[in-house]
Amino acid sequence: MSERAAPPTSAEALAAALSAEYAAIYAYGPIGVRLSGSARTAARQAEAAHRRRRDALVVQLTTAGATVPPDQAGYALPFPITDRASALRLAVEVEERTAAHWRAALAATSGGDRDQALDALIDYSVRATRWRRTAKISPLTVPFPGRPT
Amino acid sequence: MVLTCAVVRGTTTQRIDVPRHSRRHLLRAGGLLALGAAATPLTGCDPFGRDETPPPPDPLRPLLDESLALATAYRDAAAAHADLAARLTPIADAHQAHATELARMLGVDLPSAGPTPGGAATTDPDAALTDLRQRERGGRDAAITACASAPAERAALVGSIAAARATHLEALK
Repeated sequence: MSERAAPPTSAEALAAALSAEYAAIYAYGPIGVRLSGSARTAARQAEAAHRRRRDALVVQLTTAGATVPPDQAGYALPFPITDRASALRLAVEVEERTAAHWRAALAATSGGDRDQALDALIDYSVRATRWRRTAKISPLTVPFPGRPT
Repeated sequence: MVLTCAVVRGTTTQRIDVPRHSRRHLLRAGGLLALGAAATPLTGCDPFGRDETPPPPDPLRPLLDESLALATAYRDAAAAHADLAARLTPIADAHQAHATELARMLGVDLPSAGPTPGGAATTDPDAALTDLRQRERGGRDAAITACASAPAERAALVGSIAAARATHLEALK
């Protein structure tokens, strides 16, 4: 059996989730600009969900005496956002990526922290499905949400 | 199929100890036993096992059985309602993929899907969707409960299954 890096601790996994939340909040800026109507409302609600989890994580990590990773001034987007279609595609991707970080936190956590991680994984996976519906991407679901592909 | 010690021992004890398995299952288990016995000189393992007490059922076994039952329910509904097939088939495939992954994690071979409990397909597509939603909701909640108590190495897969079931509910809206 090959040697592998030690699995992340609970604090490390939650810190990684926090960094993902920062990036998600940043991404919803340019996404929201390209959307209108109910899609823009959905983007605002999604961004609010990421802000809530960011705030909770900062408090949680601080209280535990763990390292709180700093927010960055900007984050590289995987592709340019030029129109509604690319904005919706990025919204799907943002939710999938943050879901993946929370999924990774499941193994490192237990009890209330694991419940919190699973709640986030489910929430973001469902949001990704809603964005796929708005973008008319088929199928609406993936077999293993949050699993690295 | 590779007949290793673990696979043969795992499947035979599981198969024989679960009372609701059909005669066909038992016969198939008998066939595996025979295969296992034939393989003994080659692999040097004892397919009958040394320990008399069977291991307790794996806590994730119900999740595996549920995945198979859900896959069957979606496939039946897709077959009965052509208009729904495009929506339901990817979900049936996802449940089947969950069952495959769970079987691998549990070290058992994939049981064949049994008949859908409560079987007869409804002729009303709305009723079919209502039924699937209800099953999926129960499945999601069971997976959430299973994830909370799963050991670390299983938590991610069970979590993804819970999330997938939640997204299926969303897709059925």
